[in-house]
Amino acid sequence: MKPELMLFWIAVGLYGVSTFSFIFGLMARQEKLFTLGLFSALAGFLPHVGVIALRWSATGISPFISISESITLGTFMTVLVFLIIQFSTKKVRPLGVLVMPVAFVLLGWAGTLMKEVASTLAPALQSGWIWVHIVGASAGFASVLIAAGLGLLYLLKERNSGPLYDKLPDLAAIDDLSYRFISGGFILYGLMLVSGCFWSNQVKGNYWNWDAVEVWSLVSWLTYGIYLHLRITFGWRGRKLAWYALIALVAMIVSYWGIPFSVETFHSGFRIEHT
Amino acid sequence: MNDSMMPPDDNEPEQEVFPLEPRYHPIHKLPRKIYDFLASARLAMLLLVTILACCISGVTLWRGAEAGRMVFGTLWFNSILVLLVVNIACCFFGRIWGRRVTLISFGMILFHLCFVTILLGVVYNSLFYFRGNIRLTEGESLASGDPRSYDSFQQGRYFNFSRLKGETTLLKMLSGYKVGAENKRAAYEVQVGEGIDSTKGIIYITHKLSHHGVDYFNDREGYSLLVLLADSQGKELYGGHIPLQSIRQKDGSFTYSTGYREGERVMTDVIPFPNSPEKPLFALQLGYTLSKLNERDGVAHFALFPLDKNGKPLYDKPFAQGNAPIGGRYVAGDYQLAPKEVRYWVGMTVRYEPGNFIVLASLWIGLAGMIITTMGRMLRGRPKPRKGQ
Ligand code: HEM
Repeated sequence: MKPELMLFWIAVGLYGVSTFSFIFGLMARQEKLFTLGLFSALAGFLPHVGVIALRWSATGISPFISISESITLGTFMTVLVFLIIQFSTKKVRPLGVLVMPVAFVLLGWAGTLMKEVASTLAPALQSGWIWVHIVGASAGFASVLIAAGLGLLYLLKERNSGPLYDKLPDLAAIDDLSYRFISGGFILYGLMLVSGCFWSNQVKGNYWNWDAVEVWSLVSWLTYGIYLHLRITFGWRGRKLAWYALIALVAMIVSYWGIPFSVETFHSGFRIEHT
Repeated sequence: MNDSMMPPDDNEPEQEVFPLEPRYHPIHKLPRKIYDFLASARLAMLLLVTILACCISGVTLWRGAEAGRMVFGTLWFNSILVLLVVNIACCFFGRIWGRRVTLISFGMILFHLCFVTILLGVVYNSLFYFRGNIRLTEGESLASGDPRSYDSFQQGRYFNFSRLKGETTLLKMLSGYKVGAENKRAAYEVQVGEGIDSTKGIIYITHKLSHHGVDYFNDREGYSLLVLLADSQGKELYGGHIPLQSIRQKDGSFTYSTGYREGERVMTDVIPFPNSPEKPLFALQLGYTLSKLNERDGVAHFALFPLDKNGKPLYDKPFAQGNAPIGGRYVAGDYQLAPKEVRYWVGMTVRYEPGNFIVLASLWIGLAGMIITTMGRMLRGRPKPRKGQ
């Protein structure tokens, strides 16, 4: 097996260990398992970074182009943000109950779709905008996933009690934190959309074309725009928004990585006709 | 709520009623009813959800061009978008009027205002824009301001062709063009304008050429054969560059032929030969196979079809069919056809979009507004839990 693939599956394996530690930790109310989960997430993060570094150094081409690379970057951002939160506060340990399973499944799925590193970068992608675009997209995804994880904590704490749940911040604080991550995610998706418009304008002189990928990203952005309105204008709080954040996340994952890539080629307007 | 509009040191907190309703009404009675309708937050929600639903159906139920026809290009969908903007404008006008401007509300105003300016930009652009496709063979010049120079074009009501002065010339098509280490594949060296007031440059996929606000983008390119026609005595009758379409074969290679594109598909077809304005003698289908050794060398394939008395080709059967290498000749009955040289043709998109600037600038301003609002909230900290919540 190539070292790159080996590292990749080690990362997936360790995220798997982390996933089960968090889930069993929650079911058995064993906080020690959370610690195990956290450290296996950290241990998996290192080979995860290694894979990206290896792919990048192999050709010098940023390895964030194909669908599996895009998911790899999205999970990278997620785990990064997750680790930063966990090591800066001890209060939200069970956050891993949602975040790590999603990272585990997505990265495993990315592994099945993995192709060789591209040897050349298509001319349309040779643009500075690609950086703003992919950072916005992946960090936006990380934010809304963390927000959904906080939503889940809210729902759990609302229904359960005990030492595990007493350690969590109070409900209003979880609610507020979740909202902040949604706001952040909304801004980052906004950044993705805006940079996408500029990029398209640079390549085609046309900033919006209603193509499938564009519309799907508008869908996710609007979904979170509606969340913010429900909160700010209609005064929704707590349970309803926690559910909203969870359902929106599922819709996001399916729409963002599932549907557009399986039916249409990546930004179909960016192909060149002639060899 | 509304903590955004309510400074923490406010002595008399405002009554909180959801949804927040506008407090300023410039007009009364019936107009006021209309205004209330347009300024309601419920309408905003309804519109957002409707647009979301339309977007989803436009990428699931229908796809691609069909989605454009069924949803995104329709009058009703675009009316919803306009209604959204009117709604934003009324909502904000009504709500923000007379309130203290804080970091939070300022950002929010910016953010929603940018939707309004985007619409203005789009409308302005739709009145003045020009979008055309121009096709040129290397060495060829066409008058920029002549509608006949464009294969197809669309224009806004107030666009004037006099804006496109001078000529558009394709100097050379450069294949495998490199910028630093990056391979741009196809690049076109073009010149636009007249006399000293002209701009020359190289365009490739992420790099356009601008001349007096008109932008030139690369689109597609292909081969063009210079074919000379002579009679059986060898007397030259006509010569012309014939652009060919590339057709992808199952094995991934390409063949080239006269024809046309229909969406993503390329159809082979004949062209009248000689081409208009000359009187055609027959219909010609020209094909070309590249030499593996030399990019601009290979073999030309000819098929000649008779014309009926209206000048329409009779497709049933060619009256002559054969090949000739570039530089050679093919004798077809009373005619001789000589493929002289291979050049490139390129298709460029020519765009004049004076409103795009407004739209693109608004996008950043809107994003900045969003960031300002969020920063304002962060600075204020978490609202204390209030009674009844
Ligand atoms: C139908 C058009 C719209 C109307 C009428 C509308 C109205 C409003 C109103 C009244 C507020 C609250 C202001 C206040 O505190 O009094 C608000 C906030 C907000 N709206 Fe809209 N809006 C519209 C469209 C949109 C769209 C399309 C988006 C983006 C998807 C959006 C995103 C936001 C955000 C992010 C906030 C503030 C959230 C925060 O403060 O964190 N709005 N909007």
